Amino acid sequence: MSRTVLCVNTEERISEVSDAINAEENLSPIETTSVNEAVETINDDSQSIVGVVTSYELSDGSGMDVIQAVRERIPQTPVVLFTDVSPAEIDTASFEELLVEYLNRDLPDADDRLGFIMNDIIDHSAQVSFLAPDNEDERLEALAEYDIDELPIEESFQRITDLIAAHFDIAVAFVGLIEKDEENFLACTGADWDSLTREDTMCTHSMLQEDVMVVEDIANDKRFNKNEQLENLGIVSYAGANMTSSDGHVIGQVCALDHEARSYSIEEKHQLEQYADTVMEILELRQSVLEGRRPEVAQ
Amino acid sequence: MSLSSDGFSVSQLPIGEVKNGCSILLTGEDTDALKSVFSRLTAADENERSVVLATNAGGRSIQRSLNDARRNAGSRASILTAEGPGRGEDVSSIDDIGDLTQVGMQFSTLVATSQQSTARFRSGIFLCSTIASEVHDTRSVFRFLNSNFLTELRRGDGIGVVAIDRSADLETNVDSMISGMETSFKARIDVEKTGYNEAKLDISGISGSDGTVDIEL
Repeated sequence: MSRTVLCVNTEERISEVSDAINAEENLSPIETTSVNEAVETINDDSQSIVGVVTSYELSDGSGMDVIQAVRERIPQTPVVLFTDVSPAEIDTASFEELLVEYLNRDLPDADDRLGFIMNDIIDHSAQVSFLAPDNEDERLEALAEYDIDELPIEESFQRITDLIAAHFDIAVAFVGLIEKDEENFLACTGADWDSLTREDTMCTHSMLQEDVMVVEDIANDKRFNKNEQLENLGIVSYAGANMTSSDGHVIGQVCALDHEARSYSIEEKHQLEQYADTVMEILELRQSVLEGRRPEVAQ
Repeated sequence: MSLSSDGFSVSQLPIGEVKNGCSILLTGEDTDALKSVFSRLTAADENERSVVLATNAGGRSIQRSLNDARRNAGSRASILTAEGPGRGEDVSSIDDIGDLTQVGMQFSTLVATSQQSTARFRSGIFLCSTIASEVHDTRSVFRFLNSNFLTELRRGDGIGVVAIDRSADLETNVDSMISGMETSFKARIDVEKTGYNEAKLDISGISGSDGTVDIEL
């Protein structure tokens, strides 16, 4: 499947960049020659952009303006700043935490490297603002083993999130699966959420921790207190327990949220883990039943 | 373009060779002890280069520490420092450690430049906790590590060390943050200072070296 890469450069040089991207079999360039044109394309959902390469010097601004638009609209999309301007000459004063892959265009093999680098950073989600577990590929494979869309689990999970919300007397409880780029909510009590971009979720941090992760007040935790998405959702406190597959991979979270600061006792953390274990048992059993019903393929 | 190669030997520590591509999370509460272990892990052997981002030490201080760890290793190092002037051709300075966009570009450029003279490199950040305390949003530190640190290890012939001072005020649950980071790194070394000139290392993820060892600082 072809990957759409937005190329941003001056009219004089755009074709060189576009050709370098086109040289890779699976990459397909879209050409733009100004910041304005690039931002319009970034804001156009129908384009499905998975990577961006921009020069620094543009007629109506700089490549940093393009990168800022990417981080605001499609934050997990990787960007290459492809320029012959040295880092020391690039004005980053207003763009201190954008982060980007810098590729010096003066390098002798720069055009050849561009396509390789673009594929590499897309493959590895190389500019996301969360750390993935070292065995992320195996974890995603373990998650893909479950036929989630075919399993009749929604009502069971909804009952469990209702129970969690009532038991802990909290505003929101949910069961969420952590996919490559987003968290998908299978059941949710107290809110109507379908999915969240992964780097906006707390679960992507919680899943890295063996025990239950508790954040008593998000306002006091620098990992989360600048996250506008969490603020918009009104989340103040968080507790998340791992959904761990039979082969040891964490595929999702069972979570308790509240609109007020609160703590969880050791006993309450253990109870949340028990809810997560129950969710996993239901998932495993439903999957086993589904597989048992499938007709065997003739040899 | 990723290369396979021999492992990287570690000077003055009872640790076997570290595999190419290995990322090490180095944690502890004593900055001097951390610096000593950090230098031994990142000191370049002949036919290697060190690339160090120093937030809490000047270029010359890092060079001396590398020389203490391995003969002439300081002369095989490229250092980007937030402390003191960028004196010498292999020491450059940055004005604002919180400007991670600039820091990331300069650090990646140093790694790329070092690879033009020799493919093998040891990269290091001393101290990542200082960066985390300076930035507006901790998520930017993770994006920096992904974009400009772990990526270089995946593509090139090198190892990397990220040092975190657990006693730093990071406005977060440090234990939770470190336990999360630990699962993203291939190895972890925790340094506990046990005496005037002694420390205990708790090592995991380095084949043949896992466990606890006592060392002299």
